[in-house]
Parts: sequence; C-alpha cells; structure tokens
Amino acid sequence: MPEIKTTQGAAQAIAASALRAQQARMRVIAENLANANSTSREAGGDPYRRQVAIFEPAKIDAGQGVRMSRVEADPSEFRTEYEPGHPSADAQGYVKLPNVNTLVEAMDMREAQRAYEANLNVIETARSMEMRVLDLLKR
Amino acid sequence: MLAMNLADIPLFSMLRGRLGYLGERQKLIAQNVANSETPGYKPQDLKPYSFDAQVRSVQLTAAGAPARTQAAHMAGTVSRSTSSAGIKAIRTKDSETTLDGNSVVLEEQMMKMSEARMAYDAAVGFYQKSLNLLRTAARPPGRG
Repeated sequence: MPEIKTTQGAAQAIAASALRAQQARMRVIAENLANANSTSREAGGDPYRRQVAIFEPAKIDAGQGVRMSRVEADPSEFRTEYEPGHPSADAQGYVKLPNVNTLVEAMDMREAQRAYEANLNVIETARSMEMRVLDLLKR
Repeated sequence: MLAMNLADIPLFSMLRGRLGYLGERQKLIAQNVANSETPGYKPQDLKPYSFDAQVRSVQLTAAGAPARTQAAHMAGTVSRSTSSAGIKAIRTKDSETTLDGNSVVLEEQMMKMSEARMAYDAAVGFYQKSLNLLRTAARPPGRG
C-alpha cells in the first residue's frame, strides 16, 4: 500500500478500514440468516450456533481504524420444537433449532448499513476537502 | 534578492494553522465514525480552536528570530509550526453511551464533520482571496 501523508488521506484510510469491517460483519449476519433453520445431522445433536462479529480498534496510518478481530459463538440456548418425525429429533421427539432470531439479525443488518453509509460520507467529505485545496492550483 | 516565504506573512501562517487544525479534526471524526460500534470506544475531538493562542504563537516565533550582527548575515527564518500549535486531542463523549461502553453517536459526529468541512472551505476561500490580493500587488502597473 502506498504511504499516505495527508491528514485527509489518513481520514479516508480510516473510513475505508471501517467499510471493510462492516462488510465482514454483513457476511456474518448473512451466515446467521442463511442458517436460521439448519438442524443437526444426527438425531438429538446441536444445530447451527449463531455467530457474533467482534470489532476492535486497529492502528492505521497514525490513526485508529477498526477491524473485525474475531467471530464468536452466541452462547444462548437453542430453541426446541416438538416434531417426532424429524430426522434430527431426540428420543423424546424434540428437535433443537438454531438460536438465531431473524428479527435481531435484521436489526443488526440495519445497523451495519447505517455505519457503512456514515463511513462513505466521511470519505466523500475528506475527498472534497482535498479537492478544494487542489483547486488553489488552478488559478 | 529577497526571498519571500508565504509563511512569513502572519495571515497566511495563521490560515495554514487553521487548515491544519481542521484537517486533524476531520481525521479524528473519521476515527470516531469508524469505531462507532467498537465496544468500549470513547470518541475524541480537538480542543476548540483558539484565535488568541494562534496569534500568540505567531508573535512568539517572530520574536525568536535569529539576530543579524553583521550585514552579510542571512536573515534566518524561524519555521512556524502553527499547524501543530495548541492542537490537542481530548476525549469527548457524545450524548449517549451504549451498554457495551461505546459513546459514539453517529448523528453528532456527522454534524461535527459537516461543521469542519464548512470551516475548511471558508479558510481555503480566504487563503485564495489573500493570494489574489498579493497577486494584484505584484502585478506590474499598466497591465490588465
């Protein structure tokens, strides 16, 4: 990556790191939503466990950007449903379903979108400020 | 021949300081927005820009110019580090803190950002006008 010297350039690099982090978070959310109904392969086994993206500050060009440090499993309990005919049902006829709440995921997605837009806004503003200075050369 | 340095003119050096300040502030806001969902993150901002402090720092450096004891000495120029004078980042929490200890409110950061941008535009415009003034003065008489 080329060296970035201007403060505007640093601002853009920081915002870009946030875009990447939010993008990664969206991937985790998509994973959760896609597997909202994935049950276990064997009878009575655990189904898909919800994943949560964890962010942490990361040093970028003498500033603090952000990155997705890790993805952790949500330890909350699984939902259960009585369905004796299901191949993953246990001896009592209960099927364990993932601890994914689609409503929560939808909220999370909205939040990621909002943060993404805010960071795009920052890049746009930093860029226009830089252009304003470059305009001094024109006259 | 007299070498002219734009930074020797107090007006320009002060405007430069102002631009440096606003650029730095913009960077901090970018940091806050990037970390708007990082647990435990506290937003930062710069101390309000003080005109008095700027004027004082310009006067101070002007007084600290090297003395010329012989006519053959070159006039020393003191580099004026106005771009970093009186700029200090401080933690400034926004109006809310979420349960995970993050106190960035995106809306407030967006407000600050457009504020900084407008001030930046104004400073650049002023710089431009002052340059034009110099240009007018430098133009030979009798020509457009």
